Amino acid sequence: MAEAGLTAAPGAAFREGIVEADGFRIRYCEAGEGAPLVHLHGAGGLRLTRAHDLLARHYRVIAFEMPGFGTSAENTRSQTMADYALTMVRAADALGLDRVNLWGTSFGGKCALWLAVQAPERLLALVLESPAAMRPPGAGPASGTPDQMARQLYGHPERMPAIVPPPPAVAAQTRALVGRLMGPGRDPDLEARMRRLDVPTLVLCGTLDRLIPSEIGRLYKEMMPNCQLVLVYDAGHVIAAERPEAFTEVVADFLERHEAFVISRHETVLYP
Amino acid sequence: MKVSFFETGRYVTPPGMSREWPVPSGEYDPETGARAYQAMIERLRYVEELGFDWVSLSEHHYSPRILTPSPPLAAANVAAQVKRIKIALLGPIVPQANPVRLAEELAMVDTMAEGRLIVGMLRGTTNEALTYDLNPHEARERTDEGMELVLKAWTEPQPFGWQGRHYQYRTVSIWPRPLQQPHPPTYALGTSAESCEFAARNHLGLGVSYGSFEGMAKATGYYRQRCAEYGWEPGPDQIIYRANMLLAESDDKAEAQLKTGNGQAPFPVRAGLRDALIEADRRNIAGEARTANVGGILPTTFIGGPDTIVAQIKRCREVIGAGVIDISLHPPGSNDVDALMSAVEMFGTKVLPRIRDI
Repeated sequence: MAEAGLTAAPGAAFREGIVEADGFRIRYCEAGEGAPLVHLHGAGGLRLTRAHDLLARHYRVIAFEMPGFGTSAENTRSQTMADYALTMVRAADALGLDRVNLWGTSFGGKCALWLAVQAPERLLALVLESPAAMRPPGAGPASGTPDQMARQLYGHPERMPAIVPPPPAVAAQTRALVGRLMGPGRDPDLEARMRRLDVPTLVLCGTLDRLIPSEIGRLYKEMMPNCQLVLVYDAGHVIAAERPEAFTEVVADFLERHEAFVISRHETVLYP
Repeated sequence: MKVSFFETGRYVTPPGMSREWPVPSGEYDPETGARAYQAMIERLRYVEELGFDWVSLSEHHYSPRILTPSPPLAAANVAAQVKRIKIALLGPIVPQANPVRLAEELAMVDTMAEGRLIVGMLRGTTNEALTYDLNPHEARERTDEGMELVLKAWTEPQPFGWQGRHYQYRTVSIWPRPLQQPHPPTYALGTSAESCEFAARNHLGLGVSYGSFEGMAKATGYYRQRCAEYGWEPGPDQIIYRANMLLAESDDKAEAQLKTGNGQAPFPVRAGLRDALIEADRRNIAGEARTANVGGILPTTFIGGPDTIVAQIKRCREVIGAGVIDISLHPPGSNDVDALMSAVEMFGTKVLPRIRDI
């Protein structure tokens, strides 16, 4: 169903800005009003989706391009994901943000978790989309030709626009950064802190995720005291890109109602 | 070769009953129905004694032809009174079900039956879309999503929400789970490319029905190909062929019996509706388009005396690759339960012992 503002390309309504934080120049895209929803992207960089547009109808969505990704300068300074997360806290400070909803995708999900365990008081809620904090042996970021990457990232690559790879020099920079910050498949220190994290958390896994199988979602649910697990059917690793309406419905509901989101508000009256 | 006995309930219809589906509920006689369910149990005890491997039950609604609109309920009743035979539900119609409830009920039945349940899931025959207001255009998508949700409900140890296209749940965590772990032997039923693909991707078996051996082999061949792509090979027990069987003392007697049928499906929908349903419900065999069978009689692909039947079963195994045949021994177009029971006895004593090694 085409609606006003949604026939344009994804992200068309987002304004760009720059903040200086922790010695980095950090680009961001922003749209919408209301409570802040900060998005930390995956290893592929900042890419706005239809889900960003839909969420911007309920929230002030701020999608950062994290230092070292995209057009930003090479980042050889950040050494650990824990530090990288604190850099992003400084970025939120620089925008005058107090408490935020935080959404992290894959690599950005691990960053969001480090942010959450270090600064839980800054978060209203946490949304982890295909988080990469716990990975089975051999699971890594998407790689290879654009076609190969599409098959790894999407449940139905034939339905998605072609992936435009960054220039080789940029790709090499971000690959080095991601390799350094991603860390091992399991991190006992992070996980010990996750077990004590009280922030309302929603974990989403796509049933067709070929990078990190959706079975991993149960580890987060088991480990975290205030966590809900939702499987998104027929979506691959980048859920928001593939099934934006399904993603938005459950994320917006969770951000609004936290654990009460299990109470259905569906209207089934057919006719008065 | 394993043999499954397809049980329909055998409600004996009086002459003069309406023949159009849906048959008015008011024409059902409760005493006749009660006798039918009792006879079902007696018949299945005999079937078990003869050595059939499974009894199977299907899901159909709104007519005397099948008295099992709820396969799990029927299975629970059978399980409580017939204690050794495996019970195959071939199968619950997924697109008009609540997949989570289906997963729960099947888990209950498997546990109550002490691990004897076998499950086949399907989209359902065309007229079944009318039963609970299912849009036939949505049937395929709902079936694929529903089957996947059933599998997840059975196997996901943590409470989970399901953000589907047709189904949405916020928190699923079924109790009980099936006795058989990770779940009962499960099949996708159907010849379509979609059924074959689902079965291959999820390491399930495949069930095909009623078509010629060569026609069904197209589906099972495609299924095996898809399994190979997913890195595994199905065993013979993972392919079921459901068929009508006309077994008589001799080939001539079987052919004669076949001719006594009137060539009409017992409770068809009216012609205009039939045509509209055929238009709305596209089917395929391994991707090759085929017309839905709406109100048409189902073919009989095993016909003859015991020797001929044994040879046909061998051929079925070679051509289709089925390691399980699910047979309907009902005399065509006839209510005659005595004739049915003779065929059951003849199969059990004169055919079954000879086909174990096929």
